[in-house]
Amino acid sequence: MKSKLLYVFIAMALFACKDDEGDKPVTPEIPNEEEVITTVRYTLTPSTGGTAKVFQFQDLDGDGGNAPIISGDTLDLNVTYTGSIEFLNELESPADDITEEVLAEGDEHQVFYQVTSGDFVITYTDQDSNGNPIGLTTTFESKTMGGNLKVVLRHEPVKGAVGVSGGDITNAGGETDIEVVFPVNVR
Amino acid sequence: MLGRGLIFILLFFMIISSHAQTCELTILGKVVDQHNQKPIEFASVYVKELVKGTISDSLGNFKIKGLCAGDYHLVVSHIGCETQNVYFHLAADTVWTIYVEHSSQLLNEVTVQEHVQESQSQEVEVIGSKEMNQQLSKSLGQTLESISGVSAIKNGNGVAKPVVHGLYGNRLTILNNGIAQSGQQWGIDHAPEIDPLLANKITVVKGVGAIEFMGNSLGSVILVEPKKIEKDPHLHGKARYFFNSNGLGNGINVELQQHHKWLAWKVNGTLKKSGDAHTPDYFLTNTGIEEYNFSAELEKQITTKWSADVYYSSFNTQIGILRGSHVGNLTDLQAAFESEEPFFTQSDFSYDINNPRQEVNHHLLKVSSKYLLSEQAWVEVVYAKQINNRKEFDIRRGGRDDKPALSLEQESDFFETKFHYYFKNEWHLKTGIQLNRVNNVNVPETGILPLIPNYLTEERGTFLIIAKSYHKLNLEFGARVEEEARKVASISNTVPRELLFFDNNYLNYTASAGIQYARNEHFSMNYNVGLATRNPEVNELYSNGLHQGVSGIEEGDVNLNSEKAIKNTLSFAAKTKDKFFAEVLLYHQYIQDYIYLQAQDDFRLTIRGAFPVFKYEQTDAQIYGLDFVTKYQINEKWLTELNYSFIRGNEIENGISLINLPSNSIVSATSLQLPQFKSLKNVELQMLHRYVFEQRNITENQDFVAPPKGYYLLGFRASAERQFKSIRVEGHLGVENTLNATYRDYLNRQRYFADELGRNFTVGLVVKF
Repeated sequence: MKSKLLYVFIAMALFACKDDEGDKPVTPEIPNEEEVITTVRYTLTPSTGGTAKVFQFQDLDGDGGNAPIISGDTLDLNVTYTGSIEFLNELESPADDITEEVLAEGDEHQVFYQVTSGDFVITYTDQDSNGNPIGLTTTFESKTMGGNLKVVLRHEPVKGAVGVSGGDITNAGGETDIEVVFPVNVR
Repeated sequence: MLGRGLIFILLFFMIISSHAQTCELTILGKVVDQHNQKPIEFASVYVKELVKGTISDSLGNFKIKGLCAGDYHLVVSHIGCETQNVYFHLAADTVWTIYVEHSSQLLNEVTVQEHVQESQSQEVEVIGSKEMNQQLSKSLGQTLESISGVSAIKNGNGVAKPVVHGLYGNRLTILNNGIAQSGQQWGIDHAPEIDPLLANKITVVKGVGAIEFMGNSLGSVILVEPKKIEKDPHLHGKARYFFNSNGLGNGINVELQQHHKWLAWKVNGTLKKSGDAHTPDYFLTNTGIEEYNFSAELEKQITTKWSADVYYSSFNTQIGILRGSHVGNLTDLQAAFESEEPFFTQSDFSYDINNPRQEVNHHLLKVSSKYLLSEQAWVEVVYAKQINNRKEFDIRRGGRDDKPALSLEQESDFFETKFHYYFKNEWHLKTGIQLNRVNNVNVPETGILPLIPNYLTEERGTFLIIAKSYHKLNLEFGARVEEEARKVASISNTVPRELLFFDNNYLNYTASAGIQYARNEHFSMNYNVGLATRNPEVNELYSNGLHQGVSGIEEGDVNLNSEKAIKNTLSFAAKTKDKFFAEVLLYHQYIQDYIYLQAQDDFRLTIRGAFPVFKYEQTDAQIYGLDFVTKYQINEKWLTELNYSFIRGNEIENGISLINLPSNSIVSATSLQLPQFKSLKNVELQMLHRYVFEQRNITENQDFVAPPKGYYLLGFRASAERQFKSIRVEGHLGVENTLNATYRDYLNRQRYFADELGRNFTVGLVVKF
């Protein structure tokens, strides 16, 4: 009986030790990070014609790694611009246009434009399926000599809350997908 | 803590005369306390087959007449203890002595275990079946909260992780049926994947108790154990049902077992479902839970010396996380603090579980065999396999809600051989070797850079425990050495993404020495000192990136050293004439190179805004405190209990408090116990008070928001039993947070967003046959 038992022990020991998957961890698969937004680009085209002004926030390696690069532009005073905002995933090649996803889920998204200093007037010019603004297209009036513009993209905001459809973020709730600040120079 | 009772019966019987077949047999019995041999009055003794019973008199005696020869089931119960069934074959007049170990009579410590499984010099606390029946709906973490010195770190109502003397996660070992639970323990919002209803007993060893077990815990051990299959050839079982008014939770658990001649078996299954819980003012939207668990055990006595046991358990849950606790950045978090009620709060109750949610499956298979070499020595071989799957679903864009944001699969294989030897002169030796292999894999389905890397860990350990009883002293010494080799494969967080490989090798050691001195039945003391090391975990080494759940960027450090800790525990227990019992446990743990998350001065700018940066750093730290338990038996009917626990921890160099330590608390209970009330047995009415102090040691820059105020909770419990022929029914009613108090708890991460639960009525029903 004792010898039989010994065989059981040995068999179990061998079973526990056997290396059927080799002695390396499973090689991770680099994910296709299709949801990441690396770049926010706000383009202002003067209604009077002329070259478009571009404001860009770009963080190519996502949340960690290198610091983002923010570039601004100079506007003309008292001019009305047509604004359009783009969200890109430049980890993909060619870059993935996330704006399309936001547009497709327009009722679940809203872009807010907050003037943190200066005097600019931004007005929504688009609508989702419920008649509420999305904020992908806007008009922008420059009324001061410079300032800062904070652009916020909220996922699942309460669009019906007080002031939200007018662009006031206070009661919007939801989660922030994007929050970037652009310096705006005006001459 | 409260009414924690174990009845533990040893039977001795003696044949006095023999006139079988005449149905005139008699059982004469005496019920005595195992500890002091004193007779126990009012114990109920019931013979199922006769549908009749009796109650022990003031000398502990009882008599049952007019029995025929044959098989019988005796039900023995006493207040504060779980009812036990005893099977026996009666052939002649028999005299019984029934030894009852029951602890509600002022004895609350140590020696409840059969063998020297855990050291006797360790401080041990036990939750038995009776107490578990009073809180059927609770998770493992919540059940353990009733023990002094034990709390739970939570993420809402659904995720509770036990904390013993301030340590949790990787610093605390949880053993499920003797096997160290293997899963994603590093996560503060990952609850242990164990169903307490599959177990009959939960034990907390408060010293350094990990000598015998694999896993690099720094101190305490939690043992979750199912009871052995009862030695009864007939089919028996129990069915348990619970209802919670808050969250409209329902659950059912069924257990069946039989000790067949050639094979003993037991099966157990649980189904639970609850919906959105409610604070005094609003629903906690998306806090439902669904759970289904199953276990099966086979036990075979192959020869008189050789036995084998196979155990399988499966734990499966789906937990909703409060919708309003999902935030994108610091601005959102600030808005959540300031909001009266959480965002996305619905005005109606729902059972729906939407994102964010967790889906967890855990499987354990254990095969063990024991062989008696002689009367004093045996060997035991164990093989165990665990599979742990964890998927966490987030609020995502572009129809990706069905894709998990985190998907981890962990497989582990464990093997051990243990050898026990009892020498004649009260020496006891236990030694063994253990091998463990853990393979952790990110399932590539998330489309997100993984939070922790893939890794493969191989551990080899060996231990030796020597114990000796000498007059009134129990001495014990133990040591353990464990080698760990870990190979890591991760993905860089710079672009282009590339694979990074690391090798970690560690040597961990644990040693413990203890002494127990029982001067007499009135006074005893325990002292234990333990040394332990813990190597840094993968998250501490390789985390890198935004941890959205905590609104911060976490950075690991590949140069971290192992933590080294020394824990001293000293306890005194005193009791006087079965009236008064008091115990105080003092502990101090010094941890060199304590690993913690240190907030950095700078903020990091990301596309979601600026986030604070936290780095894993090391410092020397200490945690100390005391657990105080006292009970006073006012008279035969009234019992009162008071528990107090105090804990403090800081960095030694600058005195800064450690975060996530439990608040101090006082718990008191007053019980009215009636052995018999009309046709009801073991009637117990209880009033519970709980006061939790404000955590005042945390400074402003250690947290996003100040710790919440202290709070008081009032609770009531009532329980009673009734025998119907061969079926025994046990009923439990309770009210939690009776005053519907609005409060938040420091150890619940949900405190940033929402209040704790309001009033809750509970119903529990246990049917045994």
